[in-house]
Amino acid sequence: MRMTLLHQFGELLRTTMQAVPLVAVRCLFVGTLLALLIWVWRLPNEVTSPPGGAKRWDENLKLGAALALLIQIVVYSLL
Amino acid sequence: MFDKVCVLMIAATNLTLADNAVILIYLIGTIAIGLYIGRRMKTGSDFFLGGRRLPWFAIGLSLVATDIGGTDIIGVGGAAYSHGFAVANFEWIGCVPAMIVGAFVFIPFLYRTGVYTVPEFLEKRFNSGVRVVMATCWLVFMACNLGIMLLASAKMMSAVFGWDENICIWVTAGLVGFYTCVGGLAAVVYTDMIQCVVMIGGCLLVLVLGLIEVGGIANLQEKLGEAEANRQAIANAEGPQSGAAGESALTADDQGPFSPPSTNKTAQSQHAELILPVDTGTPFPWTGIYFGLALILSPAYWIGNQAIVQRSLGARSEFEAKASYVWGALLKNVIPLIIAVPGLIALAMFPNLPDGDQAFPRLIGELLPSGLRGLFVAAFLAALMSSIDSYLNSAATIVSHDLYKRFVNSEISERQLLTLGRVTTIGLVAWAILFAFLLKTMSDDSGLYAIFQTLMSFFQGPALAILLTGMLWRRATGKAALIALLAGITTAIALYALNQPTVYEALGWVPLFKIQEPFLYFSIWAFLITLVLVIVLSLFGKPDSPKKTQYVVGSKSI
Repeated sequence: MRMTLLHQFGELLRTTMQAVPLVAVRCLFVGTLLALLIWVWRLPNEVTSPPGGAKRWDENLKLGAALALLIQIVVYSLL
Repeated sequence: MFDKVCVLMIAATNLTLADNAVILIYLIGTIAIGLYIGRRMKTGSDFFLGGRRLPWFAIGLSLVATDIGGTDIIGVGGAAYSHGFAVANFEWIGCVPAMIVGAFVFIPFLYRTGVYTVPEFLEKRFNSGVRVVMATCWLVFMACNLGIMLLASAKMMSAVFGWDENICIWVTAGLVGFYTCVGGLAAVVYTDMIQCVVMIGGCLLVLVLGLIEVGGIANLQEKLGEAEANRQAIANAEGPQSGAAGESALTADDQGPFSPPSTNKTAQSQHAELILPVDTGTPFPWTGIYFGLALILSPAYWIGNQAIVQRSLGARSEFEAKASYVWGALLKNVIPLIIAVPGLIALAMFPNLPDGDQAFPRLIGELLPSGLRGLFVAAFLAALMSSIDSYLNSAATIVSHDLYKRFVNSEISERQLLTLGRVTTIGLVAWAILFAFLLKTMSDDSGLYAIFQTLMSFFQGPALAILLTGMLWRRATGKAALIALLAGITTAIALYALNQPTVYEALGWVPLFKIQEPFLYFSIWAFLITLVLVIVLSLFGKPDSPKKTQYVVGSKSI
């Protein structure tokens, strides 16, 4: 059984990734979700509301999207 | 997979009159909806896009129902039992972020272009070659999967009703084929809506009764700890290479030269964790979950899968298309709780099952009283049917629009398109029946199923790279996209082949990947190769005309 250049490259990547502590990985997961939440929150209202603007609070999709992401942030922070 | 279906017999053997009545009401309701909607079908647009009159809440529920197949209910619960809660990643970070980005960037853009299919968009942006390759990939995948799902549902119904399996194939195909053929996408979406409610209701019931049975969440955690300790003790006593109960899915790949000797031990002590280390003994290391699932397979699925995107293209307005995805993302937060947590409850209640796939059916048998057991079987049928009908309708759309209308008769009228859609649906049902019987005659059908699941990872990564560069980068060219797409698919297939024991042993190599089922890694590499090639070849080639580059997000003409 021999190793090719492809194996050695994969092994290098594997070793590098193994060296990343799981706390940092958790930060990566939560940070990605957080960045997405900030992006959603900063979207212009015309992108997240029906034409003519939201007439009720629940017509702005920002709230639903933010809620979905907030639940994810809580989940990935705790589990 | 077929074992998953067969083990449902445990739950279904004691169906009473009340259970059968619940199942019958569900099936009759489904047919009635198909018939009612079918009466309003007048054009091809009605059939393939529901006349662009579909409401956001129905589409959102349909998105979730299509994504969860019947075998997923059993399989995810089983994976949670065997490998732990990390399987929930597929419903959480493997869905929600991509759905939110899709809702505000890609879906409204696709909606505005007025296309019926994703391959159709790829021709507008690139060329007909890219369209044909993508349409063919999706068609082959969907057509094969139809036969597999049909056989799965037939085995399930055979188990429940004691019918002959061959008759079950005909009955299931007839039932789903009927309402899909009569009512088109609208019937698929509205029946999916009911199927999603039934599915969530049935699984929620199992979750609540299960939590009551184990004495609440705190007791569940305590019992899980005991079960894990027990498994670890058994694994230690049997030696490092042995699998504990429920770890039957661990394959030879895990026992390769690089596998840590304490693979099983590692897997078992991580049962409640979502984020697992690179050398985990499960198929869910964080690298695969983050880079393969969250960044590649999930966006590819939610913005590039025809069966998924098609229903949002049928929304009443661009805003409702966005709303359907946001609603779907909210619902997705609940799914792991109702299909993965029951697997953990089963581990607490029955720690020594020989196969994780027995977890959910065993819970049904233990927890649900007469009548409610029928509700769960209806939920299982709902999950199966909602996936079959979606693939059936989308495959018919690809045949009709991307192949027939594009290359055979571009002058076809809307009325003729409706007929063509229905005829194609019947043809696909016939093919699915044929393929199901073909699979039935093969002895190693479960291996085939795994191959077809891996098939999707072959082209999802390259497809995403093409779609992203096409939508976001004006400089990407059609020639570069076609070459890169073919190279990406070839890369994924080559990696798969090189990871097969017969191939790497013949070459005298060690395996390329050390986790079992490394399909997440295939998609990462195929995506990267495609992306790099598109960029390099585009920069060295002649830019496409403005007619093509107008199909880029942010373009004022779209």
